[in-house]
Amino acid sequence: MIDPYYLQQLAIGLSLGMTYALMAIGFTLIFGVLNVVNFAHGEVYTIGAFAGLVAITAFAPPFLAVLFLALAAGAAAGFSLERIAFRPFRRFTDEASLKSRAMRESTLLSSLAVSIVVREALEIVFGSEMQPLPFEYMINAPVQAGPVTLATGDLIIFGVAAAMLAGLQYMLKRTRIGLSIRAVSNNPLGARYVGINTDRTIVMTFVVGSTMGAAAGILVGLYYGAIFPAMGFIPGVKAFVAMVMGGLSSIPGAVISALILGVSESMATTFLASGWADMVAYGFLILTLVFFPSGLFGAGRERV
Amino acid sequence: MNGTHLLEIAGASRRFGGVLAVDRVDAHVDEGELVGLIGPNGAGKTTLFNLISGFTPPSAGTIRFRGRTINGLRPNQVARLGMGRTFQNLRIFPNMSVFDNVSVGAVGTLPQGPFGALFGGRDRARRISERTWAALETAGLTGVADELAANLSYGRRKYLEIARALAMEPAFLILDEPAAGLNDTETADLAAFIRRLHAGGLTIMLVEHDMTLVMGICQRVVVLASGRKIADAPPDAVRRDPGVLEAYLGGDEE
Repeated sequence: MIDPYYLQQLAIGLSLGMTYALMAIGFTLIFGVLNVVNFAHGEVYTIGAFAGLVAITAFAPPFLAVLFLALAAGAAAGFSLERIAFRPFRRFTDEASLKSRAMRESTLLSSLAVSIVVREALEIVFGSEMQPLPFEYMINAPVQAGPVTLATGDLIIFGVAAAMLAGLQYMLKRTRIGLSIRAVSNNPLGARYVGINTDRTIVMTFVVGSTMGAAAGILVGLYYGAIFPAMGFIPGVKAFVAMVMGGLSSIPGAVISALILGVSESMATTFLASGWADMVAYGFLILTLVFFPSGLFGAGRERV
Repeated sequence: MNGTHLLEIAGASRRFGGVLAVDRVDAHVDEGELVGLIGPNGAGKTTLFNLISGFTPPSAGTIRFRGRTINGLRPNQVARLGMGRTFQNLRIFPNMSVFDNVSVGAVGTLPQGPFGALFGGRDRARRISERTWAALETAGLTGVADELAANLSYGRRKYLEIARALAMEPAFLILDEPAAGLNDTETADLAAFIRRLHAGGLTIMLVEHDMTLVMGICQRVVVLASGRKIADAPPDAVRRDPGVLEAYLGGDEE
């Protein structure tokens, strides 16, 4: 019989991993389509949490409305981010410049700049400390499930994340926008010449990825009751690690890696002081880069 | 279209720095034609092709397609007006199925609003699927519809790319060096396939470096050399044209 303690840690790890997965998908989608890392993704997570917080303090709406507002804020953030930090650098449309180092480096810096501006702006408006949250919005009421005690948040996070992942798969495989996203990710020039509006497709990719990041932000914020301007940094790093472990542009790879990461971290707290749990992610990153440079699941899997 | 040409190139030039890659070219293609565009390496074929398909705007002159000036339109807009193309070095979507590859052509050219892509309705989904199957059928790819495009042989990828263009239901199809990398048998099959497409009513322009395929199937051949049009005549006349012989054999002033 497995010790209930480990089951407990497994459940917590899976729910944590799901939030990393929601974050990692945004990274991975954007990397798959543009081949660039979006450093402002952590701030999208923060924006999702703050949008929910503002809604709660202003109108105290029902939980679902808070979630939808956070998603909408994430979508708007993704749209603006693409316009501000990515599109201006896409002046040349031939393949060489789309994949050039100059393109990667300039968008890396521009997205980093946006992330700093957003974080500082939030600190000016809200202050850098944790924001007070009304108790009734927290999603950490205990739920007994056999030998394991979960929080409502674990179930909600798991449910919302699973629904969003399923929705994403459906969108990518079965809808026209999904087909366009995959086509642009495979060969942007080929897609343009058969009539795909690549700019619009790229915006949609940012919107979808950022919506998921914002969902992770509000859910984690309400679960831990910890909403503050710098909250996106650590999850952003974890999601980045999951993306690298998954092979950079494989969504299934990123999701599985995110779950592995979440479970490993929660298990690690058994053996390590909880402050050291973040070490697990960095350890994984180093091991992956040294031993599996094309990701844990090998290269050549379907991008996006 | 009251007597105007399907495609009309008037005084088109394209300058790259000090190089005039395309120099005041006039040419046209009429509906139902199968036209060849040939020229030695560096003649400006690719640049002219890029001007036509919207990749680069001309430095001077105009390009009209279906009665509309298309200078400065982007490739996806030109595609939506009914111009399909294939690429010399294939631009298929390797990690997608053959069916999905071809249906991108249908998706790209069926009009849609910003949210149409998500909530388009069953009618359009049916039209996309019909177009896709029809194009697969024409290109003889129905048997491999579920195969990953990356798993197709090089020869079949060419047909896949043509099928993707056919799913756009184009009014005009440009094939960029379709015979490149094919052996003689494959080239003969391809020639027969292009003839069938043409016989089915499609207007086609064939851009080729090699003369044999073009001379065998085209009704009219436009010859470029050093950025200028030096001949525009049926294959037999072009073959005897001293200027063309000079350009092809007479050495390498380029």
